[in-house]
Amino acid sequence: MRTLIIILALIANLTAGVVEGDKAIGFSLKELSGSKSYTMDDFKGEVVLLNLWASWCSGCKEEMPEFYKLQKQYPKGFKIVAVSIDSDAQKSRDFLSSVEEELGMRRPFIVLLDSEKKLPKSYRCIGMPSSYLIDKEGVIRKIIVGSLDSEDIDALRHDIDALR
Amino acid sequence: MRYIVAAILLFMMAGCSERLVRVMPYEKEYFAQDKMKINPLDERAEQEGHIFLIREASAGGDSAFQGGCGCR
Repeated sequence: MRTLIIILALIANLTAGVVEGDKAIGFSLKELSGSKSYTMDDFKGEVVLLNLWASWCSGCKEEMPEFYKLQKQYPKGFKIVAVSIDSDAQKSRDFLSSVEEELGMRRPFIVLLDSEKKLPKSYRCIGMPSSYLIDKEGVIRKIIVGSLDSEDIDALRHDIDALR
Repeated sequence: MRYIVAAILLFMMAGCSERLVRVMPYEKEYFAQDKMKINPLDERAEQEGHIFLIREASAGGDSAFQGGCGCR
């Protein structure tokens, strides 16, 4: 009976998603526009907001302009890493161009491409968009499922300030 | 023997894993396309609704409003 409980616990553990307090999952992904690859280690020592998004996701599109403004407010010590999971990279590029045009500013953060959706699979993402606030030591401090409005961004700003 | 049966059962139950039976949010790229809507063309949906209303005398029958029984 004890063995069975252990097996069940192991299976439950294997199928569970990441939680706050877990180490951020490593990755190696290329930039959306460019050939440079980034890994999680490249952001060590900085507070990171890892955002999983796609151009077909309406919530992701709603919150994207807020990220432009947020990153502008933190030139140092905080980085937004937006990971597009679009199969067609051009759709992501087109969407970001339209945001840049609308806001009249160039993209201030890094956008990576994960067409194979490896990252949402490994994070066991339960909704789109999903954002993970990661501290300087690479530990997930906050998981946000769903799009962020300006009020949520204000709350997030407090968390960023506390972690910086 | 009990453990073997339990292991087989667990293996079989793994097929019911949420990740296998449910389309995950990050896999909904094609479902999000306009052509996947029940009424992909808004203009046509309006026209079809109008015809449905006249033919079936079912005002409100195509929405949650009223019973949809066609009896007004």
